[in-house]
Amino acid sequence: MPIVRVGFGLLCLTLLAPLARSQEVLSLEERTLLEKIERDSIEYFIRYSDRETGLTHDSSRPDSPASIAATGFSLASLAIAQSRGWIPRDEAYHQIRRTLETLRSEAYHQNGFFYHFLDPKTGKRVWRSEASSIDTALLLAGALLASQYFPETDIPRLAQTLYERVDWKWMMNGSRLLCHGWKPESGFLPYYWDSYNELILLQALAIGAPKNAIPREAWDAWDRLEDEYNGKRIVYSYTGSLFTYQYAHAFIDFRKLWDRDINYFENSRRASIANWEYSLSFKDQSKTYSETSWGLTACLGPGGYRAYGGKPGLGVQDGTIAPHASIGSLVFTPDLSLAAIKFFYQQYKDSLYGPLGFKDAFNLDKQWWSPEYLGIDQGVSVLMLENFLSNGGIWGRFMTLPAIQKWVELCGLNEPHSLRRNRNISRSAVSSTTSLVR
Amino acid sequence: MIRKERRHNFFINKPLQLRYMGILTAILLVILLVSLASAYFGIWGEVLNAFSDEKIQNDLLTASRLQQYDEARHARASGQGFSALSFFTQAERLSDRQQEIFKEILNQTHQNLGVKLLLLLALVAAGSLFISHKVAGPLYRFEHVLQQIREGDLTVRCHLRKFDEARSVAHSFNLTLESLNERVSRLEKIVRENEKNPERLLSLLREELSHFKTSADR
Repeated sequence: MPIVRVGFGLLCLTLLAPLARSQEVLSLEERTLLEKIERDSIEYFIRYSDRETGLTHDSSRPDSPASIAATGFSLASLAIAQSRGWIPRDEAYHQIRRTLETLRSEAYHQNGFFYHFLDPKTGKRVWRSEASSIDTALLLAGALLASQYFPETDIPRLAQTLYERVDWKWMMNGSRLLCHGWKPESGFLPYYWDSYNELILLQALAIGAPKNAIPREAWDAWDRLEDEYNGKRIVYSYTGSLFTYQYAHAFIDFRKLWDRDINYFENSRRASIANWEYSLSFKDQSKTYSETSWGLTACLGPGGYRAYGGKPGLGVQDGTIAPHASIGSLVFTPDLSLAAIKFFYQQYKDSLYGPLGFKDAFNLDKQWWSPEYLGIDQGVSVLMLENFLSNGGIWGRFMTLPAIQKWVELCGLNEPHSLRRNRNISRSAVSSTTSLVR
Repeated sequence: MIRKERRHNFFINKPLQLRYMGILTAILLVILLVSLASAYFGIWGEVLNAFSDEKIQNDLLTASRLQQYDEARHARASGQGFSALSFFTQAERLSDRQQEIFKEILNQTHQNLGVKLLLLLALVAAGSLFISHKVAGPLYRFEHVLQQIREGDLTVRCHLRKFDEARSVAHSFNLTLESLNERVSRLEKIVRENEKNPERLLSLLREELSHFKTSADR
């Protein structure tokens, strides 16, 4: 059953409304707070990226390896920081260039796919990690976005080199879907990106790639599983974690894109509301949850990193929530997210907020406060805050990339299928009428 | 060829052997368990202490974190089972995830140890059966020979197997029997040869019986 059944024009207005409305009604105090969080979160990438290689640590924990996904967010964050005047343009340029050079010539990769975790000092593969498809996509997205901020420099050339080096077809391993990764010891992992989640970004870059692109048919090969929660029909991810509804959206503007009759911006808006409702349903059982305290996503918890999430999906929860979850949904649910961000900052500033923005998560029932920041979580906060505060500043740049335009064109995402079908029917009707007149 | 001395039943004197086996097995098991427990807790305690080292802690945390990332991405369920980790006070210094990893390791160890302990128990039981057999067998022989002596047969001898316990006792026992048999035989001979001379018979009997010490002497 298609997710969106409302009129196209009406939905467009609905989709554009949240961002526009909140832009106008943000108080100076709110704007200042959001900018502070964005700026502080960017500081993570300055402090936890290696000075020589530019590779970014996975987390603020000592001895944490470099993560290529975090490095991708770092490239994006540095570009944003210089555009806002928070760091000198030259400094950002040199750091981004240095990082891209490391990735081009030193970082270990297989057929262009970088290993998930690298030694931040040397770029060598560590912890027997896999050459990861999704993490390479997040890295490339960051690199391509950064190249949009430095159009007349060698950054776009370096980013393009990395992009063209990736053999996307190889990662399909002869199947119709992209594999999660590959290890030298055991070959391809037994997991494929087969249903809705952050895979959209991976698919977009793989289909739109200038070289070794995967066939357009791969776009139709993954499952769009739908279910309902509190009357909201949602194409859901298996875990129901909020980040799965956010990562691709941090780069791609889905407000005017249609996958058949599915609009993923609207889908993420519903998923965010469902996530809020789901945590509220446990309000009596957990002190953490309230109307202004929500956000179930994959994050650190008292027992380690877990894929917390809402419904539809697995819906794993134990009273642990992550501030970056509500920040990541700011563009979808500005009122709910803003209320949560203000609440977290005002109520738990001493325990939850540090010099690098919000720490990863907390759990009031167990009186547990994450001592760490995670690179990818700071990254999605930065990008979504930037999109929100600059009225889609990242989306505007990312959507003009030739690869993204190619993907949109090839997959026919510019309008709902139903609209196209209706137009075709109308054309046929006109044609028939004309032939009758003749 | 079946050896003449071979015993066909493991249980010759069942109550004795069972008691013997029980005592032996219990003593062996107690010694074994005490040694094993001290080694077990000592080794694991040291391992857990080593995990408190900051560098190892960080490495362990990174390893478990990467595994958690994988689990979150592939949405695999992690099992929660019985664990003896609560016996280790050192475990309190580990994070929840580290404790989970240790629980898995301990459970695996327990499964391996359990199988080996059962095997060990079977070996101890078989061993004690073998040993008790070597003790109960001779006792049974002695009992049987003594019964025949009580019935007046002084020609019987106690023959034990090559590796039975109490072979030297049996040897002394047989020498005693030999001596007794000789003396009684001599008495019989005296009676047989002096039936027609009662005075000489009495004198010789007195002479011969003076070598014996009995309750009638009191």
